[in-house]
Amino acid sequence: MTKRDLENLKRLAVPPALAEAKRAAIAAALVAFDAVSDANVQFKNSTQGSAGSDRPMRTTSQTRSFFMGLASHQNMAVAASLAVLVIAAPIALKTYQDERTRSPDWPAPKPTAVAAVPAQLGKQPSEEKKQERLTPAAKLDSKPFPDNADFQEKTEAQPSVQSLDGRGDKLGSASSAANLALDGLLAKPAAVPPPPPPSHLAAPSPAPAGLPNGIAGFDAGKAARDELSNLPARQLKFGQSNLGMPNSLASVEPPEASKARPSDEERDVFNAPDVNPVKQAATEPVSTFSIDVDTASYSFMRRALNSGHLPPKEAVRVEELINYFPYSYPAPESADPPFKPTVTVMPSPWKPTDKLVHIAIKGYDLKRAERPRANLVFLMDVSGSMGPEDRLPLVKNALRLLVDQLQPDDTVGIVTYASGSGIALEPTKISDKQKIFAAIDKLEAGGSTNGAGGIADAYRLAEAGFDKSAVNRIILATDGDFNVGITDRDQLTSYIERKRNSGVFLSVLGVGQGNHNDAVMQSLAQNGNGTAAYVDTLNEARKVLVDEASSSLFTIAKDVKAQIEWNPARVAEYRLVGYETRALKREDFNNDQVDAGDIGSGHAVTAIYEVTPVGAPRLVDDLRYAKATAETAAASPSPAAATSSGGRSDTAELGYLKLRYKKPNETTSQLISLPITDELSKPTITDVPQDVRFSVAVAAFGDIVRGAPYVNGYTYDDVIALAQSARGDDPYGYRAEFINLVRLAKSARP
Amino acid sequence: MSEEKDETLARRAAGGCRASFALLLERHYDRVYRLAWRWTGSQTAGQDIAQDVAAKLARAIRTYRADAAFSTWLHRIAYTTTVDFLRSNQRTVAVDPSEIVRLIDSASSVPHDTGAAHDDLWNAVRSLPDQQRDAVLLVYCEDLSHAEASAVMGCSEKTVSWHVHEAKKRLKIILEAVD
Repeated sequence: MTKRDLENLKRLAVPPALAEAKRAAIAAALVAFDAVSDANVQFKNSTQGSAGSDRPMRTTSQTRSFFMGLASHQNMAVAASLAVLVIAAPIALKTYQDERTRSPDWPAPKPTAVAAVPAQLGKQPSEEKKQERLTPAAKLDSKPFPDNADFQEKTEAQPSVQSLDGRGDKLGSASSAANLALDGLLAKPAAVPPPPPPSHLAAPSPAPAGLPNGIAGFDAGKAARDELSNLPARQLKFGQSNLGMPNSLASVEPPEASKARPSDEERDVFNAPDVNPVKQAATEPVSTFSIDVDTASYSFMRRALNSGHLPPKEAVRVEELINYFPYSYPAPESADPPFKPTVTVMPSPWKPTDKLVHIAIKGYDLKRAERPRANLVFLMDVSGSMGPEDRLPLVKNALRLLVDQLQPDDTVGIVTYASGSGIALEPTKISDKQKIFAAIDKLEAGGSTNGAGGIADAYRLAEAGFDKSAVNRIILATDGDFNVGITDRDQLTSYIERKRNSGVFLSVLGVGQGNHNDAVMQSLAQNGNGTAAYVDTLNEARKVLVDEASSSLFTIAKDVKAQIEWNPARVAEYRLVGYETRALKREDFNNDQVDAGDIGSGHAVTAIYEVTPVGAPRLVDDLRYAKATAETAAASPSPAAATSSGGRSDTAELGYLKLRYKKPNETTSQLISLPITDELSKPTITDVPQDVRFSVAVAAFGDIVRGAPYVNGYTYDDVIALAQSARGDDPYGYRAEFINLVRLAKSARP
Repeated sequence: MSEEKDETLARRAAGGCRASFALLLERHYDRVYRLAWRWTGSQTAGQDIAQDVAAKLARAIRTYRADAAFSTWLHRIAYTTTVDFLRSNQRTVAVDPSEIVRLIDSASSVPHDTGAAHDDLWNAVRSLPDQQRDAVLLVYCEDLSHAEASAVMGCSEKTVSWHVHEAKKRLKIILEAVD
C-alpha cells in the first residue's frame, strides 16, 4: 500500500506559485545575471569604474558589442561598480565550487570562464561600426528607466531595451547569428558579451510610489526620493546574497499600478457583503453598528482607478472611503468623555424628498505632552515578494518618516521574517535615531535571516520594553504573506492567546497589490486590537504613519458602538450607508463582551443614514394588512420603542442616538446619548459645514461605484460638483485627489 | 524559437545571452518551484527557494558545459538549494493566513481546514530522515532513476535503493498509525 501511495505522490497537485513570485524570481535572476556580466567586463576595464561610482560608463557601453547583433545595453540599474566586480566574481566561483564539491559530476570549474573578459571589447574596434549594428535594436523598445530621474538620465543615451515579450522575434533573428558565433566561442567563452539591460518584463513603472500631487511642500519627500534613487546601486553591493532580491528590481518588476489587470486583482480576496437594505422604521426601528476607522478600502480603490479600472464592487467599503479623510468636526473639550458626536440633518442631494442624517464623531486629540510613551515593534515581511518599490522600499521610507515624528523617549524595534526571521533592531530609543536609520537601511527583501519565529520575536521585544502606561504595539508590515516563522503551531497559539490580553496591540500595514489578501488583512485588523491600513504611496504612508500616527497608535476609546432608534412617527424608512461588515445585533449594544471598533486620538468617524420622512415617497410599501403603521406607531409606540426610551411618542425627534464605549484600560462601557431633533436640520445642503458636505460626496461616490441601487440618477459629475464645493483647506491635497479619482472613475473600465 | 533545446539555450546563456537565460528561467521556474514545494510543503518557501535557485543559476550558468543535460544540472541546483534551505530553517514552519486569523481572533474562530486530502502522506514523507525523504521524493516525485538520484544526492546507487527501502518500511508504520 505504501508502494501505491508513493506512486501517487507525484500526481498529487502542487499548489501553483503566484505569477508574481515567478516574475520576481526571474527578474532577480536577470539582475544577478547582468551583475556577472558587468563584473566580467569591468574586470578588464577596471580603470573605467571605481568603487561606489554610479556614473554610467557610456563609452564602454557603447563600444561593447553584443556578439550576435542583439541589443547591447549597459545595465544602468546595476551601474556596475568595482565593488560589484570584486564581490561578484569570487562569489560566482565560490558558489560554483561549493556545488561542485557536493556533486562530483558537476562541470569542472574554469575560473577563466567567469573572470575572463573580452580583451578586445571596450578598446579597439571602431565605434561607428558598432553603433551601426546597434541602431536597429535600439529602435526595438527603448523604454526609459522607471522610478527616478537619475536613472532616466543615465538611460537616455543608451540603446535598446530588450523586452521579454519581444523575445521571439529578436532571439529568433539572433539565433542563427548566435549559432555561428557560438562555434567559435563555445570552447573559449572568454568573450562574455556585455550585459543587456534590465529585463523589462513588462511596462515601466511610474515614479516611485507614485507620489501624488499632495506631496509638494512635504519636506521628507525629497529626502525620501533621494533615498530611493540611491537604492539600486547601494543594494547591489549587498546583492551577492542571492536570496536577496535587490531593490533595484523594482525597476524591473513593474509596479502593479501600471499594469494591473483584472486577472491580477482577482487574486485579492475580499469579503463581499451586500449593500445595506432599506428598512422600515415601523418594523425595525433600531439600527446598531460598530465604529470603523479603517481606511484600507480607499487606498485600494485609488490604486485600481489609477490603473484605469473600477475596483471590484466588493472591495468598496463606503464607510472606509468616508473615514479616509481628515475632518475637523467639533472636538470634545476634555478627555472625558473622549469623543463628541455631532449630528446634522440635511436634504439628500440625490433624492430631495429624503433626508440625510449625518453623524460625526470626533475623538479627543491628545496633545503631544499628554501622549503616552510608544513602545513599537515592527514585524516586517522581507520575503522576496516584498522587493518591488511599492512594498518594502515604501515601508522603509514610511518608517523613516515615522521615526522622525516620535518622541525621544519612544522606542522602536524591528523584527524581520521571510524564510527565517531575525531581529534587525533591538528596541532603541528615538534619541538614538542614527542607529534606527542604519537598521532600516539594511532591510532587504529576501535577505536571508535566520532565527526564532518572527511573531514570537516581535512579542518578545514588545514585552521586554513593556510599559503599562505606554502604547505597546506590534505593527505587521506585509503584502499578505503570513509565514511568520514559528517553531510550532501549538506554541504560537498559546503564545498569541497569552499576549492578547496583555496589552500588546497589533496593527497591520498592507502593501502591494496582486497578492494582497484583503480579507485576511481586514479580519486581522478587526479582530486584533488594531487597525489595518493599505499603503500604496509614500504620501499614503505618511498619512497613515505620521499624520495619523497619534490616532492609529493612541487609542482613546475602545469597543465603540453606535445605536440609533428611529422614531416611526417621523421616519418611514432608513438605510445606513456602508458599515455592512460592521453591523451588530441590537442586543450586542449593551453587551460589553461584544468587541467593536476603536477610536484613536483625534480620529474622526462618520456615519450617514438616508431616511425617508413619513409622508414622502417611499421604496417599501406599507403592508396591506398591517394598517397604516406610521399612525399606529405614533399613537401607540412599538414595543421596541417602549422598552428603550420609555415609550415616548414625541414627534419632535427623528430618532435617538446612543454611543457606547470603553476607556482604553477599562472593561465596562459608558454611554453617550443624543436626541436627533429638528434643530439639527439644515434647509439645504449648502448650509451644512464643508466637512459634512464633503463626506456626503464621498458616500455618494462609494454608492455609485459599488452600484448601490439608491443613488439612481446621481452622477459622477454631481459628485465632483458637490466635492468641489467642499474642498476647504485640504493642506495635503487629499480632497483634490479624491476629485481626480472621481474623474478617473468616469472613464475607468469595470 | 521556443522549440530550441535547453542545452542550446544554456550554452548561449553561458556565453552571456540574456534572452536565452530569461527563456530558460521562464521554462523551468515551475518545475523548480514544484520540487521546492514537495520538499517544504509551503508555497511561500517554495517561491523563496525557486527565486534563490534562479539567482544562483544566473552565476552558475556561466560555467555550464554541454556535458550534462541542462535539466539534470538544474535539478541538482534546485535540490541542493532546497535541502540547504530546510537545514537552515528546521525551526520554522509556514503558517496559513487563515490559521493566523484563527489564532488572533479566538472569538469567531473557524476551524482550520487545510483542504488537502493527502496531507497525511505528505507529512509522513516530510517527516522521514533527510536522506530517506530526499531519496523518496527524487525517485517518486521527480521521476529520477536510482542511479540519477544517487548522482544528485552524491551517494552510491545502492545507498539510494537502501534509503528508499527503509523509507517505505517507515512510511508504512507512520501511515498505519495515522489510520
